[in-house]
Amino acid sequence: MTGIRVRYYALFREQAGCQEEELETVHTDLRGLYSELAARHGFRLQAGQLRVAVNGDFVDWSHRLSAGDEVVFIPPVAGG
Amino acid sequence: MSRFRFSEVALDRDALAAEMTHPAAGGFATFEGWVRNRNEGRSVRQLDYQAFEELGIREGSRIIEEAIARFRLIDARCVHRVGALALGDLAVWVGAASEHRAEAFAACRYIIDEVKHRLPIWKKEHYEDGDSGWVNCERCANPDPVHVHEHGRRVDPTPAGFPDYSRQVALREVGEAGQRRLAAASVLVVGAGGLGCPVLACLAAAGVGVLHVVDGDTVEASNLHRQHLYTPADIGRPKAEAARERLLAMNPMLRVEAHWQRFEETNADALVSLAEVVVDCSDNFRTKFLVNDAALRAGRPAVLASIHQYEGQLQVARPDLDASCLRCLWPEATRDGLVGNCAEAGVLGPVPATLGALQAMEVMKILLDLPGQLVDQLLLVDLLGQETRRLRAPRNRDCGPGQCVRLAKPGSERARPQLELSLSLQDAERQGYVIIDLREAQEVTAEPLPAVAHRHWPLQELLMEGPSQLGGDTRYLLVCSRGLRSRAAAEAMREAGLNEVYSLAGGLSGAEPGPARAPRTCS
Repeated sequence: MTGIRVRYYALFREQAGCQEEELETVHTDLRGLYSELAARHGFRLQAGQLRVAVNGDFVDWSHRLSAGDEVVFIPPVAGG
Repeated sequence: MSRFRFSEVALDRDALAAEMTHPAAGGFATFEGWVRNRNEGRSVRQLDYQAFEELGIREGSRIIEEAIARFRLIDARCVHRVGALALGDLAVWVGAASEHRAEAFAACRYIIDEVKHRLPIWKKEHYEDGDSGWVNCERCANPDPVHVHEHGRRVDPTPAGFPDYSRQVALREVGEAGQRRLAAASVLVVGAGGLGCPVLACLAAAGVGVLHVVDGDTVEASNLHRQHLYTPADIGRPKAEAARERLLAMNPMLRVEAHWQRFEETNADALVSLAEVVVDCSDNFRTKFLVNDAALRAGRPAVLASIHQYEGQLQVARPDLDASCLRCLWPEATRDGLVGNCAEAGVLGPVPATLGALQAMEVMKILLDLPGQLVDQLLLVDLLGQETRRLRAPRNRDCGPGQCVRLAKPGSERARPQLELSLSLQDAERQGYVIIDLREAQEVTAEPLPAVAHRHWPLQELLMEGPSQLGGDTRYLLVCSRGLRSRAAAEAMREAGLNEVYSLAGGLSGAEPGPARAPRTCS
């Protein structure tokens, strides 16, 4: 199990009902983590439609998670 | 002859009125301003008026045009004296003709108030005691009248009636050189909505010399809570025009060009070539990619922002620094309709106001070469938590040098099979299209589809199930409320190899036959 902190923005925040959460995950990759969270919170965007940053850097989906990582899921927004 | 003019000779009120006779006019009102014998307790015996005539005629004519439009006048004129005037002389004459008297009275009041407020006119008063002094026009005298006497002590380095930039010039990093740099700069702002209004207001007030405003929309009542350049009187007017007028009133030293058109593939390069920095204040991804791509092709910075409810994102594409751009961050498949938009989500005014001010700040950092510029980063702003964070967003590693620009090649080079159809649902049914309603259940309940055969298949389900379930010789027409989601879904189906999937242009709100409408959310 890996202990991480996840932050949400825009529609993820609405769907998750919180700005951030600390959690233990069995996944070591971002794709697995996103699937787990999507199932729990009802996220409907597919991985290809959003971006993820770890510890302040945008990373691609193959990035491996480490204990204490801060993961940020960022959906595209277009309002003006 | 211009409807506003200056005159060096005495005004003939009968001749002026005679110029305005019109068979449809049922009301004709005039206002006359006279030279009076006292001002602020001092006896005046004579006056000299001076005007910055070129600017005055331009702004004066604009005031008359505004009055004609606002009060639906048949005609309106204004003549202002310049030169030496004696007591009792006619200094300014306003005439307004309309069908009914109320509009003529109101227009006279409007014109004289605006002329007094907006025109660069100065008067020199000669007093009975032999002293004399220049009195600023109302605009610069208000709210604290300043009399600059000839042998007086106050010297104002800024011409009266124009912005004084001393408070920003005082910044060590700006200075006089920085102010000259701003005055020589040109900026193109795409979208004069929630983001565009604060961007334009900040840049105009700061003295950025040339502003290009691109917007194809007109002002709506629902814009006013967050688009502070507009007033209720502007409702129905092109935003680009209304914004131009307001910005010039704020700072008459500028050149402001209004482009009442959408930013499209066909005009993108020409528009971007007009300015050294581009600011994306649009409300949809299609336009954001177009702005980004045109900026890449031109090698110019693009300052892009988006908002969603209480949050915003800010990114600066710097092709001039070989830094990351919008495409490095978001895949091409990022489309309007697949994510929330703020017409559905709602928005509080301070959110775009904040992001727009941040955009203006980034523009000024670029123009003035200030430190801390956003390069290879995405700024996330959360106005509820009052939190900002800068995420590092370097060039996409799949993007070799020049790759972004290659992706940004003009759309005309790409094959573009027709995707959107403009027809009625009844015609679509007759022509054999299978109509698919992509809206959510509650939207369907609120506004049921007209009586045509169709299938209800919400967007996200269609995206997942469509590629394996659609197909064969059938032609499909996807439908949503405004044509955004249906277009995004049709594009996704085309990419999955389904060529006979179309989107209803403009959605149900625009389902009458007619030209396709560009996507809109909440500009």
